[in-house]
Amino acid sequence: MSQAILQVEDLSKSFGGVKAVSGVSFELMENQVLGVIGPNGAGKTTLINLLTGFVRPDRGKVLFRGQNIAGMKPYKVANLGVARTFQMVKPFYQLPAFKNLVLPLKSPRAKQLTGGRYGDRDAVAKDLLEEVGFERDSWVIFKQASVLPHGYLKRLELARCIAMAADLVVLDELFSGLSLAEVASLVPVIDKLRVQGKTIIMVEHRLRELFRIADRVMVMNFGQKIAEGKPREVMEMPAVRGAYLGSEEEGA
Amino acid sequence: MLEGVLIYGFINSVLLVLVAMGFNLTFGISGVANFAYGALYIMAGFLCWGLLNSLGLPYWLAVAVSVAAIALLAGLLFRFVLLRVRGLVISEVIATFGVGLAILELFRYWGFIGFEYTLPVWLDASFDIGETVVDGQRLIMVAVGAGLTLFLWFFTRHSRIGRAFRGIAQDERTALTLGINADLTAAFAVAFGAGYAAMAALVILPLGTIAVNEGYNVLVNALAVCIVGGLGSTMGVIVAGFLIGYAQIFTATYGETHWMMIVSLAALLVILLVKPSGLFGKQKELEERI
Repeated sequence: MSQAILQVEDLSKSFGGVKAVSGVSFELMENQVLGVIGPNGAGKTTLINLLTGFVRPDRGKVLFRGQNIAGMKPYKVANLGVARTFQMVKPFYQLPAFKNLVLPLKSPRAKQLTGGRYGDRDAVAKDLLEEVGFERDSWVIFKQASVLPHGYLKRLELARCIAMAADLVVLDELFSGLSLAEVASLVPVIDKLRVQGKTIIMVEHRLRELFRIADRVMVMNFGQKIAEGKPREVMEMPAVRGAYLGSEEEGA
Repeated sequence: MLEGVLIYGFINSVLLVLVAMGFNLTFGISGVANFAYGALYIMAGFLCWGLLNSLGLPYWLAVAVSVAAIALLAGLLFRFVLLRVRGLVISEVIATFGVGLAILELFRYWGFIGFEYTLPVWLDASFDIGETVVDGQRLIMVAVGAGLTLFLWFFTRHSRIGRAFRGIAQDERTALTLGINADLTAAFAVAFGAGYAAMAALVILPLGTIAVNEGYNVLVNALAVCIVGGLGSTMGVIVAGFLIGYAQIFTATYGETHWMMIVSLAALLVILLVKPSGLFGKQKELEERI
């Protein structure tokens, strides 16, 4: 029987007069994949920032394995086992691709999990890069991140989360800016994470691919949760159609 | 004469690298431009002077205590002043500049002016290098400069805090997602940089007197070297230190001594016109890419 790994209660955050996230509550079971969708400016990224400690909530709780992590510093959240990616990629630009993973492989969390016996981290880093779709025996893994194409940097973001050995992985628009083929090659990687027992939150605009992966989908608009359920069912809901298409029911 | 110019150019270059390294280290890691740098430098001198002349501590102990105290003070400056304005670049500059100004002018107000404020040389001897006579203190300064540069290189590559330094230097938000405590690391970086300033002061000041105005000169020299080299780049500091260091000595030898300070400022102006990110600066390249 799986249990809730994350319980969010009445989470709220305003910037000036704008309610970026307002009274959002939801639960996430262990090993589930939750998709978060909504129009631009719906508060999806703020929600992620609230979950991972980058923004302090005005009110509400975020219980990760029963512990309230709302307002906790980002590095402490990371050490508890919550990893995230950034929509605008943020690699260590001056390090080679594989060295970007050596840092998380030597992180305080990794030390805690391995007892300081890390093994050959360079080799592990290269394995990880291969797993997310870098060609192994090629020059790509040795290139500085600053010269890598966007597609590789997105993969690097994902690999960093895997390297952190997180239990909850939060992906902020991982698929944005990627070609159809690139997205198609990443879908199995995420499936594999689920098989390994990870719990995943995905903020996405690429609905077709998201619906293939997600168990549940939560829809946000103007900072509020307007719907939650199975992917296809959610898209049939009038409120969701209204938010996305601006349907005539809205005015009725 | 050329031999002398080459040797003294080398010594002057190491002096500039030594003076700029702490400022560069702090900026490169935490993004804080510590404008109290010159004041901390001078304060280390006066503190050591006080420990020697009032408390009568042994010289080596006075040096160690001064360096530790200045580093601690800078760490506290970060914790209680800079942390509140973190990320607001202008506020950081104003805050550190204000603190530096206050420290230096307080020394002036309290009457710390005069030729009696000197530190003894570490080694009272002179050596012949070819036909040029060089005093022991300058040789020690070269050794300390080389030692501190090497230490920095090893430290940032082979220690846990050093790797954390490099992590937050490249992207603070990403470092946070890896469980690195960025605020604490930045506090260390500020303290570490100030410790380097104090170390530089205590090995350089025995060559002259401890003067309040030197605090401003040190800041200008450190800024010039860091900006010409490219803020945050250790290699940049070394190359720029040698460029400006030799240029100053050539100017003093074949031109006029009082033009020495002009050289750093001229180098600063030229680099800002030609390549604003500095010789080894990476800031701009990355901004263009994003």
